[in-house]
Amino acid sequence: MSAIDLPGCAADMLSAFQSLGVTRVDTPVIQPAEPFLDMAGEDLRRRIFMTQSETGKALCLRPEFTIPVCLRHIETATGTPKRYAYLGQVFRQRRGGANEFYQAGIEDLGESDVARADARAVSDAMVILQSVLPTTQLQVTVGDQAMFEAVVAACGLAPGWQKRLIHAFGNVAQLEQLLEKLAHPQAVTGLEEEVEAYLSSNDDAGLIAHIDERMEATGYSTNASRSPVEIAARLKEKRELARVALDAPTLTLLRTFLSLDVPLSGAVDALTRFADEAGLNIGAALTPFAARVDALAQTVDVTAIRYRAAFGRPLDYYTGLVFEITALGQTAVLAGGGRFDRLMTLLGATHTIPAVGFALWLDRIEQARQRNEQARGQ
Amino acid sequence: MTITLALPSKGRMKDDAQTIFARAGLNIVAVGNERSYRGRIEGLEDVEVAFLSASEIARELGTGSVDFGVTGEDLIREDLSDVETRVAFCARLGFGHADVVVAVPQIWLDVDSMADLGDVAADFRARHGRRLAIATKYWRLTQQYFSGSHGIQLYRIVESLGATEGAPASGSADIIVDITSTGSTLKANHLKILSDGVILRSEACLVRARKSEHDSHPAVQTILSKISAVV
Repeated sequence: MSAIDLPGCAADMLSAFQSLGVTRVDTPVIQPAEPFLDMAGEDLRRRIFMTQSETGKALCLRPEFTIPVCLRHIETATGTPKRYAYLGQVFRQRRGGANEFYQAGIEDLGESDVARADARAVSDAMVILQSVLPTTQLQVTVGDQAMFEAVVAACGLAPGWQKRLIHAFGNVAQLEQLLEKLAHPQAVTGLEEEVEAYLSSNDDAGLIAHIDERMEATGYSTNASRSPVEIAARLKEKRELARVALDAPTLTLLRTFLSLDVPLSGAVDALTRFADEAGLNIGAALTPFAARVDALAQTVDVTAIRYRAAFGRPLDYYTGLVFEITALGQTAVLAGGGRFDRLMTLLGATHTIPAVGFALWLDRIEQARQRNEQARGQ
Repeated sequence: MTITLALPSKGRMKDDAQTIFARAGLNIVAVGNERSYRGRIEGLEDVEVAFLSASEIARELGTGSVDFGVTGEDLIREDLSDVETRVAFCARLGFGHADVVVAVPQIWLDVDSMADLGDVAADFRARHGRRLAIATKYWRLTQQYFSGSHGIQLYRIVESLGATEGAPASGSADIIVDITSTGSTLKANHLKILSDGVILRSEACLVRARKSEHDSHPAVQTILSKISAVV
C-alpha cells in the first residue's frame, strides 16, 4: 500500500489502533466472491467488481473487510479471543462517492464478556473518530436486535409470525407492511381435497406420505432440497397462522415499541416502563441491555448516544447491538457496527464464536475534516 | 443523419416484425440477396435496416448505436440499467408474448406467494446449509423483483442459459425465474407460478434509443406515426 494514496486521517487512525492494543491484519485485495454473496445476498452482486479465475472460480475485489478477517480468524485462531484492526481500500459501486475508497475498523472475535465487548466496540469507534475529528460533535445511535426479538416473543405471537417480523426488522417499510398483513390475514385456499382432508383430520403421517408419493412420481425425490416433512410442517403452520389476526392492542404495542427513540441514559427506564405498561416480560433482553449501558457509561460520555428501538440491519447474522455514528445533525455515517454472533458459524466455524465490530468510512471522515478546517479558516 | 432500425434476424419474430411494418406501409426490402443482414425501407431513403439477434438489439439500443429496434421487452429490461432514461417504448406490437415468472415445484404445497417464498428463503440456510438457489438467465429482473419489490435478500442465482425448467428436478436449483407463454413447459416439469409471481408481461415492442436529434427528424416521426396507427 503506497503511503501517498492514504487519506490524511490514516496515520492518526493507525496510531489510535496501536494505543488500543489491537492486532493489525491485512487481507488480499482479490477474494473469492462466494462468501460475500452468500452472506449479503444477490443484491451485492451488482455492486461488487467480479472476475473469474482461469478455472472459472468467481473472484471479486474485496468489498469489505469483515468477512475476510473472520475467515482468517476461523482458519488460524479459533478458540482464542482476538481483536483485529484493518485499514485498506475496498471496492464497491455506491450511489454517491467513488467506487474505491478506504475503510478501517476493528473486529473483536471470541470475547465471551458480551457487554464489555459491545461497550468497547462503541467506545473504540467514538474514541478513534474523536481523535481524527477533535472539533466534531458526534451523534451515536444504537439499536438492539435481541430487544426486538424479545418483545415479539413476549407478545405471544405464533412462531411463524415472529420469524417473519424478526427477518424484516431494520427495514421499516417491510416491517410496516408485515404488521398490516398480520392484522388482516388471508385464509389458505386452493388446496386439493385430498390434502385438505389430511390437514383437517390432523393426519400428519398421511400428508407426509402423500407428498412423498407425489415427489417420487414426478421425479423430485432424488435431488429435492425441501423434504415432505418440511413442506407438510410449514403448510400446517401457515394454515394456523392464517386463522389468527393480530389484535389491535398488540399492534399498537408493537408500534409503540418501534417508535421508542430516547437518550441511552434513559433507555433502560423507558424500556422498563414500556414493558410494565404492556405487561410484557422482556427481562432476558433487558438485563444484558442494562449491562451494556453500564459498561458504556464507564468508558465514554453516553450523553452523545441515543437508543432507537426500530434501528436494526435486515441481515440474518446480526444478533444484538447495532450502532452508527454521524456528525451531529448530519446523515453521512462515519462509523457503523454491531454484533454478529451468527456470522462465524455461517462462515464455517464449528462452534459459536461471539463477534462484534465496526467499520470507519475514511472518505467521509476526510470530508468532515475538510469541512472543519474550512469552518476554522473563516 | 441516417436512422438505423434493428429488426430480428430470424424466426417468427422476424416475420411478425416485417408484417407489422408492411401493414404500416413501411415495406422492408433486403439489400443484395434475401439472406443479407442489411435492408432498407421503401420510400424512406435515410433509414437503414440492420437484422440482428434479439438480445443484440437490446444491447445496441442501450449503447445508442441503433435508433430503433424491435425486440422483447424482457430483453430490454434485463440487459439495460436505467431503462427509462435510455430508451422509450414506442409501441407494443402484439406478438412475441411471454411472461417472466417465478415458478416453484408444484409439490411445495405451502408456497403460493412471494411472502411464502420469503419465509422459505429465510430458513433455507439453517435447514439445508446453503441459500435458496434460483435458476435463471434474468439476473437483473430477479434481483429487482426479489430484493427491490419483496425485500427477499437471502437467495443465490444459478445462471441457466437453457432448459431452466429442469433445474429444480435435477437439483441444480430450487426454483426458477423464466419466460413462459402457455405455461405448458412449466406444467410438464411439475412447476407452478406463484400467485404474485409474474415479474413482467412481455411482448415484442418498437423501442427507440433516446436521442435529442430524433425530435425533429422526419423519418423518425414517420416511423412512429405509421406504426402507432396499426397497433
